[in-house]
Formats: sequence, structure tokens, C-alpha cells
Amino acid sequence: MFVFWGSILIFGLMAPVWAATGQLHIEANGEDFIRQGFVSKDGWALEFSQVKLHFTQVSALQTDPPFNPDQGGSPTIKQRVDLPGGVVDLKGAEPVLLGTVTGAPPGFYNALSWQLTPTPELGGASLLLVGTATKGNVRLPFQIKVDQGYRVLCGEYIGEERRGILQPGGTARLEATFHFDHLFGDGEQDANDSLNQEALGFAPLAALAEGGRLEVTYSQVHKQLSPADAEKLSQALQGLAHTGEGHCRVEVLE
Amino acid sequence: MMRTLLPSLLLWGLGMPVWAHGVELGFSTTPAIEVQARYDTGQPMAKAQVTVFAPGDPGVAWLTGQTDGEGRFWFRPDPAQLGAWQVRVRQGGHGGMLTIPVTTPAEDVMGDEPEAPDLKIPASPPASLSPWLRLGMAASWVWGLVGTALFFARKTHAPS
Repeated sequence: MFVFWGSILIFGLMAPVWAATGQLHIEANGEDFIRQGFVSKDGWALEFSQVKLHFTQVSALQTDPPFNPDQGGSPTIKQRVDLPGGVVDLKGAEPVLLGTVTGAPPGFYNALSWQLTPTPELGGASLLLVGTATKGNVRLPFQIKVDQGYRVLCGEYIGEERRGILQPGGTARLEATFHFDHLFGDGEQDANDSLNQEALGFAPLAALAEGGRLEVTYSQVHKQLSPADAEKLSQALQGLAHTGEGHCRVEVLE
Repeated sequence: MMRTLLPSLLLWGLGMPVWAHGVELGFSTTPAIEVQARYDTGQPMAKAQVTVFAPGDPGVAWLTGQTDGEGRFWFRPDPAQLGAWQVRVRQGGHGGMLTIPVTTPAEDVMGDEPEAPDLKIPASPPASLSPWLRLGMAASWVWGLVGTALFFARKTHAPS
């Protein structure tokens, strides 16, 4: 009985607080490239069984002036809410919920930051890609571990809808989006498209396969690739992170 | 892939007045903003989708349209709405957002590298509680307080 009356009292006390704040859902999305697979710029059909990322220090920010990652300078943060992060599989859903901030102050969350850090849970990787690549009669199972960390700072979510505007008592969504066509290229685009020009593709990785399998880490691959391809891989991995179509500033964690 | 969106101030409607039978035509000059959208390769974002957001209501499109074949788009901001106007340009899975400070109706915002905008994010509206929520809160307060008091009162007088 005490619990019942106490709950009623707590509701009465908290209702104004709940009504004055909101819920902010932060999601991760690998887009159809991951969920459905795609053909790389060099003709490898890629299908993924796992694409796992280890997020840490996830923060949604209200910045004023609006943070533009394509320009220099640091964001001027007026409000900030945090999530601890964790491991998510981009193959899992459309998109995957990274977490929900309850009691978030209302306003326009026009920037999003996170870190990707290596974790024992992913065998020392911050990003784990598992799947199968097929080209002609060649079928190549692969496991790629990116054993490097990244600090990501994005501006506003850019997409069909405007996101991050949180009204009192309302909900809003933000999204960490990963464009894997920037890494492997897109066979449906013109070979001269700048995306394909800048992407590594899959062929340089396939050339490193042993015994009909490709099991590599970023550190290993970076030493084995040609200097030009190693640079492409490095840049492409830093170009994966977006928020919708919006850009991010990415730094490698030492 | 980066895009560059360049705002500049133009004068609309420059030209000579024209008279026709029974019709009176004239002109006035009005400041407008030209947005230039292009990829970092220099290629214009031709026929790209454009959405303009006014300072007072960032959640609602104030104007939608399309760039021309050269990646240009013009609009005339409402002079009554001073602050940071934002223009979103999207095409084929790529997009960017441009913030244009408009602090006075006649202010020149030309320049390839616009200064950091003085965006005033609209203050969140005060938490307006619906009458039903207010009633529920009041009832919860009273019910909770009285109920808790009765609970302890019963404990105090209960026979041992």
C-alpha cells in the first residue's frame, strides 16, 4: 500500500520535470549497403553477416552557432546530453537503437559526437566486418577488424526530415550513419565518380586472402597494401561516419 | 564529399517600367540571397533539392525548391524574421546545410567565407501543461500526500 501511495506522490512530483524535458533517441545506421549487401566498385558482391561497432562517449549537442564540421574551429556547446555507448550490430535493424536519453533538456540538438574504440568484445577491434565476398566463381569469406580508434564530431543530421528538435515532453531522434560505399566503392556508380575514385574497393583486400579466407586487421593490411591503397584505406575509414548525409570531422585516436 | 554553398546578395527586379493599355506596371528593388551549391570537385549541384528554414521555426520548411542547372538558388528572406536562416541542399544521397546570418534587412551577406552565423536557436517554449495534466498532477499530489499520511497514521494506531 505504501508503494502505491508513494508512486502516486512521486508521479505528482516528477510530472512537471517530465513535461519540461524530453526523450532523445540516438541510433546507428549502416543503410541498405550493410542490410542488403552491395557490389563494390571492382565487382565484388559483398554480403555481411555482422558489422559491429563499439561506441563510447556518445554526446548529443546543442551548438550555437551551428557547428559546421567542414569548417575549422570547435563547437560552441550550449547544451549536452550523454550516452555511454556500447557494441551494436548494424546488420541488426533499420536503424539500431544506440540508446535513449531520458530527461533531455529541450532545444535543437544540431551536433552529435562519439568515439569508436577497440574493445575485447570485438577481439580488439572498434569495427568488425564479417561476411562473404563473391566475384565470378570465387567465394571469399572475410573478417576485417579495424583495430584503431576514432573520435567523431558531426554537425546537424541531414536527410529527408530535420531531426534533433526536442520539444518539452516530446521525443527526437539523431543518427550515427555509416556510408560503407565510401570504403568499398559502389559498382552501380560510374567508375569516374569521385566516390569510386576515392574508395579503396575490395580487390586490394581480396588479394591478401590466404587459404580461401580473408582474416585481417587494419594494422596488418595497412603494412601490406601499396602506399597509395594504404592511404585510401585510411581516408576511407575516416570517411565512413556521417549523420544522415551530413558530414563529420574524424580524428584517429592515438 | 564536400559541398560549397555560397550566399550572395542580389537585387531583384532591376529593369525599366513598362506601360500598356489599361495596365500600370512598375518595379522596386528587393534584396535576395543567392545560394551556390557545388561538389568539392567544383561540379555544380544542378537540380538539387533545396529547403529553406526561417530562424523562428527550424522544424518547418519555410520554402522548398530546386537549384538551377548551375547549382544556384535564390530566395528573399522575410525581413521581419531576422536571425540565422538555414538552407539545406540535397542530391543523390549527399547533402549540406548552410547558415546565413540576416541581422538587418539591408545587411550585405556577400562573401565566399561567411562569418560564423549569429544563430539564435529559438528558446524552447515554456513547458505548457495541459489542463488534464495539471489536474492529474494536483490529484496525484493530494492523493499521494493524504494516502501517505493515512498510511503512517494507521501504523501509529494499529494495535500491537
